[in-house]
Amino acid sequence: MTRPPSWRRKLKATRVGRTYLVLTVGIGLGALNTGNNLLYLVLGFLLAIIVLSGVLSERVIADVRVRRILPEGAFAHEPFALRYEVTRTRGRAFAIRVCEAGGTLEGWAWIPTVLEGSPVTVRADVTAPRRGPLRLRQVEISTFFPFGLFEKSRTVEVDDLLLVWPRRGYCCDPPDSDAGHLTGENGNQRHRDGGGDVQGLRELGDLEDARRVHWKKSATVGKLLKVEREREDRKQYTLTIESDAPGDPLERACEETAALTNRLLAAGNDVGLEAGGRKIRPASGPGHEKRILSALASLGYALPARSAPR
Amino acid sequence: MRLVERRRLRLRLRDLAAGSAFSAVALSGALPAPVAAIFGVSFVLSLLGKRPFAQQRAWSVVVLLAMALVLFGLVSRGVLDLVVAAVGFASLVTAHRMLSEPSATTDQQVLLASLLLMAGAAALSGDVWYAACLLAFGVFACLSLGLTVVEGPIERDEELPLAPVLRQVSIGVAIALAGGIAFFILFPRLSWNVAARRTGPGLLGGTTGMSDRVRLGGGGDIKTSARVVLRATLEPSPKTDRLDRYWVGRHFDAFDGREWRGSGTAAAPVPRVMLGELRGALVQRIELLPAYASRTLVGLAQPVAYGTALALGNTGSTSTPLVKVGAEEVRFSTDANAYTYVAYSRTDYPMLEEDLAVLEAARALPEDLDPKVSELAARIVDQATEPEQVAAVLELWLQRNLSYTLELPGEVDDPLTDFLFERKEGHCEHFATALAVMLRTRGIPARVVGGFFGGERVGERFVVRAGDAHAWVEAYSPVRGWMTFDATPESGRGSRPQAVLAGLIDAYERLEELWRSRVVDYSLVDQWEFARRLVRPPNGAGTDDDDDGPTPVGASRTRTPTRAIFVAGAAGLIALFLVRRLTRPGARTHPASGFLVQLERRLDGLHVPRRPGEDLEALSLRLQEEHHRLAAPVGRATRRYLEARFGQRPLSKEERRSLLAALERSRR
Repeated sequence: MTRPPSWRRKLKATRVGRTYLVLTVGIGLGALNTGNNLLYLVLGFLLAIIVLSGVLSERVIADVRVRRILPEGAFAHEPFALRYEVTRTRGRAFAIRVCEAGGTLEGWAWIPTVLEGSPVTVRADVTAPRRGPLRLRQVEISTFFPFGLFEKSRTVEVDDLLLVWPRRGYCCDPPDSDAGHLTGENGNQRHRDGGGDVQGLRELGDLEDARRVHWKKSATVGKLLKVEREREDRKQYTLTIESDAPGDPLERACEETAALTNRLLAAGNDVGLEAGGRKIRPASGPGHEKRILSALASLGYALPARSAPR
Repeated sequence: MRLVERRRLRLRLRDLAAGSAFSAVALSGALPAPVAAIFGVSFVLSLLGKRPFAQQRAWSVVVLLAMALVLFGLVSRGVLDLVVAAVGFASLVTAHRMLSEPSATTDQQVLLASLLLMAGAAALSGDVWYAACLLAFGVFACLSLGLTVVEGPIERDEELPLAPVLRQVSIGVAIALAGGIAFFILFPRLSWNVAARRTGPGLLGGTTGMSDRVRLGGGGDIKTSARVVLRATLEPSPKTDRLDRYWVGRHFDAFDGREWRGSGTAAAPVPRVMLGELRGALVQRIELLPAYASRTLVGLAQPVAYGTALALGNTGSTSTPLVKVGAEEVRFSTDANAYTYVAYSRTDYPMLEEDLAVLEAARALPEDLDPKVSELAARIVDQATEPEQVAAVLELWLQRNLSYTLELPGEVDDPLTDFLFERKEGHCEHFATALAVMLRTRGIPARVVGGFFGGERVGERFVVRAGDAHAWVEAYSPVRGWMTFDATPESGRGSRPQAVLAGLIDAYERLEELWRSRVVDYSLVDQWEFARRLVRPPNGAGTDDDDDGPTPVGASRTRTPTRAIFVAGAAGLIALFLVRRLTRPGARTHPASGFLVQLERRLDGLHVPRRPGEDLEALSLRLQEEHHRLAAPVGRATRRYLEARFGQRPLSKEERRSLLAALERSRR
């Protein structure tokens, strides 16, 4: 896709601007038709306003620098906070709207005023349209200043790479854990002995292993209390995506895997991933979920090389 | 400024813009009174922050549509002009939007509807106050739009400094106005430049003294009116500021003892009416203004022809035929708000021969005329028999023995006898009646003429005021035809406006004249002339007519190439300054920098030791390490400065003062 040069400006009439233009044309025709000099006077004022809008809006967007502050993570189709640091290199600027050029991300940030030399950090709630590595090349700076009749915009080269995780969609029941096909007490979670520190006591449920009853406490309160330990019910799961061929099945698989990962990790399990020739060993914790999500995000894509900073 | 204050300011500006646009329409006097009243109430309610339509959107729209139907029903029945109805509807829409829930969209709708009002007002009026309304509308609307834009799509209740926004938008508006004027001057007039529409006599109504009858006993209030009813350009133009001549309107030849009436039947409408010989006639291009409010043409005594008449009505200007009524009165065949036409006049009377029936009618006396009048005339005239001599004697007697007054008691049974024998004072109609009746008692045909006396120069034209309305007498001599006699003392002939009022009206008239000549009547010819003067200014201007009397207002006497070059250079410099101001903003220093300067001066004044190259932040740290007594206040001031300069937390004036005062306190 060819990118517009940075000197090029885009001008779009707003809704009120379009009405204004229609009125201007109407008054112009009226002036030409009747020769009424007062209509010519009004017409002159209206046209001067249009020219002035162009000059003042150019002044607003001309001397602005933008830096993108990427979030740690972002899910596809879900709003996330993208921050921009806007710096005015000369004079003041008013009514600036910042967004990603070309509609790469949906959403924008609004800045009422920027002073010279004082960076302003603003947040845009944006939404990524798809999973995968997203190249953010240009930021669009636009303004409605001074009268809101036109929106003038320019693009600024700001190259970044955002890895968009798959949306955490609907997921089915979890697959068998890695220790599937267990027999006897050994594989039954109700009969597994917990490990790690004691977390607390609770009433023993039906069919639960009586060996983990805390007899002293049970005797004190008069009912059977079970000892809960830190790693009591942990299981290990390795989620697998067979094919990494691009398409809807892959997208659905990624979304389901992301949802499943989140669910299993939240339940205290270890989760691993095997997809696209890459294997992540089962582990737990928020950092591990991000690793899996990042692996899912890049599945089916070749990560683009980051261009040299300009 | 917080959100609530910003919104209030924005809405006030919006309402003022709408009010300005509506004023332009309302002052034209064309708008129906109910519409004006509705808008006025809406305007006040909106200024007070009351928005009754915010919760009643549906039925308010129904009411608005019903009003639209009423207005355009009136149009279809021919009661209301289409443009007036459209402007009235735009006024109602504006009022409706003003009373609706405020939002950025509503504000823009109000301003766009107001723009329509301004355009409508341009079609309905051509007076100078339109410029003031347009200026006010432009300023208020642009500021309101600017505030709406900076507020953004989502209003947030956070502190937002508006002064820089308003400053920049104001500069922009000034440039836009200048650009609009430049466009106005330079844009080629591709259409016929006809005069602007008029809407009627305006808010003050018609004030002319030209009526179908002259009834004795009425007051003379009109003599104090300074309203201009007529403007005339004379060719050749007399080199004088005051004309002091008679402007003939109507002739009245039938008197019943209480009032004068004109006789004669109307002829078929014609484009041009000839009353006499045109050779050597003075040409007058006359504009009868809405305040005139009559269809009778007037011309300097004695008019010999009228023609090229245009009626300026609500549908624009149209050519109007003229109707001759009786022997000498000429009327427009159509009603209009204002008229323009050309009149030709000679100083001698056009007709020597007169119809016997006309002369007989001009000798008729009222049946119940008091014999004392005839006796008085006979006593004054004595032995004189020639009409000129008789008229001159009677004229002189009346001027010397009776006095002029506008203070009249009201209706009396016999106003002529009362004037001559009881009160012995009256206004021009009494004097003219007395002279005409006394002439008739001597068998001399005489009639009363209604018109104006006067004419003063305003710019390049002469104006006649409503207060110049006058009545005088024409007496017939078989040798010299009709001759003019005026028994009214000279002091009572012209207008008698109050000095202050006259001064104000004169100033307004000059402004209006300037506006009319430079704006309303600006044409392709003027553009050509403007371009020609820029390229090749006239040589020797200002030396040719030094001895020819006063230079008309508005005429330049020193148009030299040097001046043109100087003006062009000055305009260029101003343009350059404005462009630089726009592209390279002058406010390069941060607002907080001023505080830094103040703070450092104060520290110098307190003799706080500074190391070479030590900035404020380093100084603050050092003072803290040294446990200096100024460490705390300097630390606070430094932190606030850094926040204001780099952290988007503006520093208010009060806070500045407080921080600096803390330094002073710590020293003690």
